[in-house]
Amino acid sequence: MQVRMLSALWAGKITVKLARLAGGKGSSFPGKVALYLFPQALEAWAQKLNSRIIVVTGTNGKTTTNNMLASIFSSLGYRVLTNREGANLASGLASAFIRSASWKGNLSCDWALLEVDEAAFSKVTAHLKPAVVVVTNFFRDQLDRYGELDRTVSLVKEALSQLPPTKLVLNADDPLVVKLADTSHPVLFYGIGVPVRAGKEEESCREARFCPYCGRELQYQYYHYSQLGAYYCPGCGFARPPTQVEALAVRILDGHVSCQVRVGDQVVDCELPTLGFYNVYNALAVFGVGMWLGLSPEVIARELGRYVPATGRLQRFVHRGRPVYLNLVKNPAGFNETLRLLSMSSETKDVFIALNDNEADGRDVSWIWDVDLENLLPRSTVLSFVCSGRRAADMAVRLRYAGVPLGKIEVLPRLEDGVRTTLGGRGKSVYFLATYSALWPVEKLLRRYGKEERDADRLPSLS
Amino acid sequence: MLTVCHLYPDLLNLYGDRGNVAVFLRRCQWRGIPVRLLEVRFGESVDFTKVDFLFLGGGSDREQQLVVTDLLPRLANLRQAIEEGLVVLAICGGYQLLGHYYQTVEGRKLPGLGILDLYTEAGEDRLIGDVAVKVQVGGRSQILCGFENHSGRTFLGQVSPLGRVLRGFGNNGRDGTEGARYKNVFGTYLHGPLLPKNPAFADYLINLALARRGLEIMLPPLPDVLEKKAREVILRRLRLRGS
Ligand SMILES: [Zn+2]
Repeated sequence: MQVRMLSALWAGKITVKLARLAGGKGSSFPGKVALYLFPQALEAWAQKLNSRIIVVTGTNGKTTTNNMLASIFSSLGYRVLTNREGANLASGLASAFIRSASWKGNLSCDWALLEVDEAAFSKVTAHLKPAVVVVTNFFRDQLDRYGELDRTVSLVKEALSQLPPTKLVLNADDPLVVKLADTSHPVLFYGIGVPVRAGKEEESCREARFCPYCGRELQYQYYHYSQLGAYYCPGCGFARPPTQVEALAVRILDGHVSCQVRVGDQVVDCELPTLGFYNVYNALAVFGVGMWLGLSPEVIARELGRYVPATGRLQRFVHRGRPVYLNLVKNPAGFNETLRLLSMSSETKDVFIALNDNEADGRDVSWIWDVDLENLLPRSTVLSFVCSGRRAADMAVRLRYAGVPLGKIEVLPRLEDGVRTTLGGRGKSVYFLATYSALWPVEKLLRRYGKEERDADRLPSLS
Repeated sequence: MLTVCHLYPDLLNLYGDRGNVAVFLRRCQWRGIPVRLLEVRFGESVDFTKVDFLFLGGGSDREQQLVVTDLLPRLANLRQAIEEGLVVLAICGGYQLLGHYYQTVEGRKLPGLGILDLYTEAGEDRLIGDVAVKVQVGGRSQILCGFENHSGRTFLGQVSPLGRVLRGFGNNGRDGTEGARYKNVFGTYLHGPLLPKNPAFADYLINLALARRGLEIMLPPLPDVLEKKAREVILRRLRLRGS
């Protein structure tokens, strides 16, 4: 066993080096090699950590939640192992272990913080036996790869019920996630307990219109976005459960989000240096994990205030004095949230959208028709739309039928052409939206032409 | 005034299906043809003879079953409208439920509406990918392109296919047929969605709907440059240059 594990590890490590020499990131392939040589590798490494493992799964928010956790754990002096974003299948997790392990097979970390693809969850978690599992939300994502959402949810549920005692951190505002509380694990719920934004909710991308237990249409006191909100079933009484971690007040301010969070019976203020309202959910999930592990809510709040967004999570750049934002879009729910963000400022802007259809993006781009561009697109303030990527023209067609005049739409499939043209626009700010496989190439171009702004300290300090 | 009916937008809307409705509406509006949208949900009443374009999208087995139970009591009204030339576009699940039945992997036969002489059997693996189909409509041949993703294999009885598969799987991946056509009812596995990628076919459906109301008109052309580009990406990828 030990010999097989070491040979798998070494093969993996050598692959990492080779991949680096070839200029790749080596985020999944070394793990693939190791798992091929020793299929129980994940289990063996997880055992070494003695279940000091936290798994974050769900459709949106995995990477941000995991990164927030990592920065908090690091600030507390723990050595952490994380998988690189997107490398969230078994091979990506194995690669993370390979990077952290010494040639003798010892892991140089105290905790493993892993984001796991929701569709791969059932295959990998049995090997990991995590101490805590966070489930953020379930939205439609890359349908051609995963089949139907219902199936994904029940696979996660099945996998959870087969795990040894694991503590759950679940989003109370998502009826699909709350279904997972039926397993016998101890559960802690988090949610946003007050309506934050008024306005008509787009119906097209609500995933769960019907009660998961009796099939009646769910009623809502208010929505946050998509199917997230304060729901109840008039048929069987299924409803948003009481929460242990709850945002009591949320204010969306210029450049940051300010919220008051109740953690158990303690209340803390928290300033998130982000434009995105949805990051409140990620922060709440982090408070939830902290509650299970006995971490101080004040310390968590302080660290969240310094959080630096990951690649393409509303990452900020500056180009010739103008603010430039880069955001990943990968499904209708997330795209809608990004559009809401665009509508928040009345300044003029230029918008770039890169739509790719590589394996990692999903081969099928029809999901862009489920984005509520008709209602959420701030037409008047956007001076130009540049469509880029392999399916640039499809995005352009989508914009045209959403009512954008042809004169405002440009199709430039090569990312470099698209980025340069967009940066040459006249808007007061610039927004770059990209699907998964276009994200890193676009980030690289933005670094070349602009400068990343990592200055979280410009926010007023709370202490 | 043309009436577009999107049937069960809440239950049947799997792969951006509403894009088909959006395109039909916009292409009428851009030409000054008055048009209105009727969204009919589960349990809501509708007179199909008053509708000009009926759209049915895709959904899971469970949703298809709900839809069939809701439609069966008004089948006579729907049949009458279809015999009178109602234009129907049904995609994926919506296409399957127009047939006699859908047989699940476990061998259960879920009844359909029996409007089209066809049946569907669930297969082991899903048929997924870009697809191109040659169709003859309005005396002309066109290439329809799109994306397919279905585990059902559909077999036609006494009904003509919508077209012949050039690339991809089509009805069942075996007999080279794709979709079905009866009068003005079109069933197909092509999404992507279908109409944004195939504006000439969208215009053909608009013409059929107008003709049923006695309006034989030439639709003024629209500047479909973006649509052409989007088609070319797929056609080039499938090595079907042109058109
Ligand atoms: Zn219920």
